Parts: sequence; structure tokens; C-alpha cells
Amino acid sequence: MAEDTHRVRVWDAPTRIFHWLLAACFAGDWLTRDARYLDVHEFFGYVIGALVAFRLVWGFAGTHWARFASFTFPASSAWRYLLALARARQAHYVGHNPAGSWSIYALLTLAALEVATGVVTLGAEKRLGVLAGGFGYRVGDIAHALHQWLAYAMLAVVAVHILGVLVGCLADRQNLIASMLTGYKRADSAIAAVEARRGVAVTLALALAFGALGYFRAYPMAAGAPRDRPPALPLDAVWKNECSDCHLDYHPSLLPARSWSRMFAEQKSHFGEDLGLSNETLRHLQAYAERNAAEALASPVAWKMATTVPAAAAPLRISATPYWEQRHASLDAATWERVHRSACGKCHRDAEAGRFAPGAIDINLGRSPVQKGG
Amino acid sequence: MPGLRNIALAAGLALLGMDATASAAPVDDLLQQFRAQGASGFTVAAGEQLWERKVIDPKTGQARRCALCHTADLRKKGKHASTGKVIEPMAPSVNPERLSDKAKIKKWLARNCKWTLGRECTPQEKGDVLTMLRSR
Repeated sequence: MAEDTHRVRVWDAPTRIFHWLLAACFAGDWLTRDARYLDVHEFFGYVIGALVAFRLVWGFAGTHWARFASFTFPASSAWRYLLALARARQAHYVGHNPAGSWSIYALLTLAALEVATGVVTLGAEKRLGVLAGGFGYRVGDIAHALHQWLAYAMLAVVAVHILGVLVGCLADRQNLIASMLTGYKRADSAIAAVEARRGVAVTLALALAFGALGYFRAYPMAAGAPRDRPPALPLDAVWKNECSDCHLDYHPSLLPARSWSRMFAEQKSHFGEDLGLSNETLRHLQAYAERNAAEALASPVAWKMATTVPAAAAPLRISATPYWEQRHASLDAATWERVHRSACGKCHRDAEAGRFAPGAIDINLGRSPVQKGG
Repeated sequence: MPGLRNIALAAGLALLGMDATASAAPVDDLLQQFRAQGASGFTVAAGEQLWERKVIDPKTGQARRCALCHTADLRKKGKHASTGKVIEPMAPSVNPERLSDKAKIKKWLARNCKWTLGRECTPQEKGDVLTMLRSR
């Protein structure tokens, strides 16, 4: 590039706003990967889904350098570009170079897969979101694992992309990061400017703002928030009445049926108290517990309890189960001085409903982290 | 025989009526039962004494008394000794639901005497406590 260059608009406004929103949402999703922030994590995920969908449309309807047609290169040309770059003999590209274009396709694909596996995980494992209950818990476990590994893959591609941009800045001797903000690049004077298309960008930003308003209107989200499609956990009046005088009326789905059988067989020494329940009441409670114990898999926690309590064990305390211990491992002793282990409702706003959705954890009371991951 | 039928009807109504008054005043009804079991002369003072009586639980070494969970001031909320769950006030003057359900009274007298004293209460003790509670 000699004297016959000019500063020219290359990136239209919608492409730029797409780029930075995607970057922000990816960072946001990374920071909210802890289960306690699931509702916010979920929101960023929906935005990413919408952004990717928009970018696919814009790849055909956008201005010249935003169109896929302007940056579709065979893999071999990407390789040749990198080899030439290593010898500082690379050709100059106004839009995306062949290597960069491949990282863009990789990021778009990974982002779409992250949204897909995220929505399946949410629906299958947590019974929340648009696919609530649409898949079994096993599918949820697989989707969750994929979601995590794809996130690491995406983080790696983001790192390569950033590295590529920095190298590109040096190779092209111009600030490519500023280009993505302003839209302008220095290019051959034969290159014509693209339209800004600000209207589309403003529409995109407004849609996001209204979406956020709608989504976070009910914040903080407890059980029963509009996004929730809670599994039906039938409540029994006798159960509620008999249990709730002394403690939370723990939902029977929180322990396996063998635990409840033992609980009622040992009613004369129920945590140091003789319950003195009549045979009729006992039979009623036993039948309700058996129908709705963890094995009925009525909720995500039930699934975890049914599959993680050792078959030979019949724990009486929910807090003595491996899953409970795993989920609360990072809480310190001070927390348990503040909150009794039996008082689930102190931190779980949906404890009484028996659901224990990750988004319904009261972050202030829990204070220290509950557990990483979902 | 219309006369006999009327007598039967009257007897039936009387029984129903008795039942109605019994459920309207569950404490009176229970005190009557305790008297029938040989107890008598229920007093607030005796009930207070029992309420404050301390018994060491042989298994845990814990000093137990009614006030441990229900607090000494019956118009205040108490706290379950092991779960920490809030217990609504015992005094009917601030919590009208108290002493209104005969089955509940019997259940809790049985369960809580066993936990606190390590044995069931005698009809005399139950009558004294109910008399004291009703006065609050």
C-alpha cells in the first residue's frame, strides 16, 4: 500500500455491534458459569443465540465485507496465508483474511453449539427453559459435559482470534481493534466505502434492551418465575402437617424410598424424639413417600439422589448424602453457624416446593460459593 | 310409636350437641377426661412449676425443660432445640390457634412430655399445664 490509500468504512454498524455484543456475552457467560448465577448465564446464552442467528442472516443481507461471500476461502489458502505471514510476505486483505475467516466460522459454529447444548442441558438436567423436560436426565448429563468442553474449545479459539488480531495489527500496520469500533480501515483508494446501516444496529440494540427488561423484570428469580416450568411435585396435606411443625416438610423426592421406610420404622427414635404417630398416619405417610421418593425422578435433585446414594445405604439425613455433601463442600463452618443444615429454605428460596433450582439460591445468605458448575 | 322415635331423636341431638360443646372447648373436655382418670384440683401454679422443671436427658446430658424450646415468656415465639425452626407463641391470648384442637393437644402433650421429662405425663400434670397455658 503506497500513497494511493484512504480511510474507508469497511465494517457496517450491525457487524460491529454484533462483534462486541458477542464478545461481551461470551465473557458474561464465562463469569456466570457457577450454578448460582444460572439465570444470568442463561440470559447471555439466549442473546448469543439471537446474535448468531442475526449474523447468519447478515452474512447474506449485510454490506459487502460482512457477507460470507467476501470471506469464503478454502482451508489451503488459510494455510498459505499463515506461511506467507510467517515470512512477512502475506497479501493484504481489506476484509477478513483467509486465516481469520476460518476462526470466525469456528467461533460462529461453537457459539451455536454452545447455545444448543446449553438449552438441552437446561431442559434435560434442570427441567427449565424452552426444552424443559423434553429429554431425560441422562441426555442432560451428556449435554452438560459437551457444553463444558465446547466452552473450553471456544475459549481457545477466542485466544487464537485475539492473537491473530494482534499479529494482524503489526502486519498491516494499523489498529484493527479500533477498526472494529469505528468501522474504518486504511485501504486502497480503489476500495469503496460500505453503508453504515445504523438503523439495523439500533434495532438490534433496542431488541436486546427490551429482551433484558422482559427477562429480568422478575429478578431475582425464585421458583415460579416465568421461565420456569417446574416439575409437578405433589404435596400431601398430612405430610405437610406432620413434618412442618418441627422442620421443613422435606419433599420425599430428596431421599430414596429405603430411607423413608427406615425413617418410619424408626419413628420411636426420630432424631431423638418419639413421634408416636398412629398406624393409620404412618401408613399414609409411608405410601406417599414411596410414590414420590427419589426413584420417581420427579425433579433434577431426585435424579441425583436416586443415582448417587449407595444402594446399600439408607441415609436418614439429606445432608448425609454424597450429592448434598458435594454440592455444599465449599461452604465454611461459619455458614453452618449462621444456618442450620436442616433449614434448606434459608438459602434455597424454592426449598418448600422441593425443587432446589440453581437460580433460586439466595446468594447473600450462602455468601461463599456453593459449587462450581451446574 | 312416634313417642319412642322422638326420644331417640332427642337423644341423638343431645349426643350431637354434647359433641359440639366438647369441640368448642377442647381444654374443658380434656380436663374432664383427666378428672375421670383420678386427677383433680388443677392449678396455674402447679402448671408453672412443671413448665420450669429441669430434667437432664441421660443420653445427651442436655438439661431439658419446656422453656428450652417455648421460652419462659409464653407470649413470645420459641425455637425448636435441634432444628431451630420457629415455634409460634404458646399463649392463646396472642396465638388464638393454641388449645383449639383436641387431637393436637393430645399429640404434643404425649410427644413433648416424653422428650422433656423422659416419660409420659400423668393426668394431673397434663391438667395443670393446660390450666396454666389457658391462663396466658
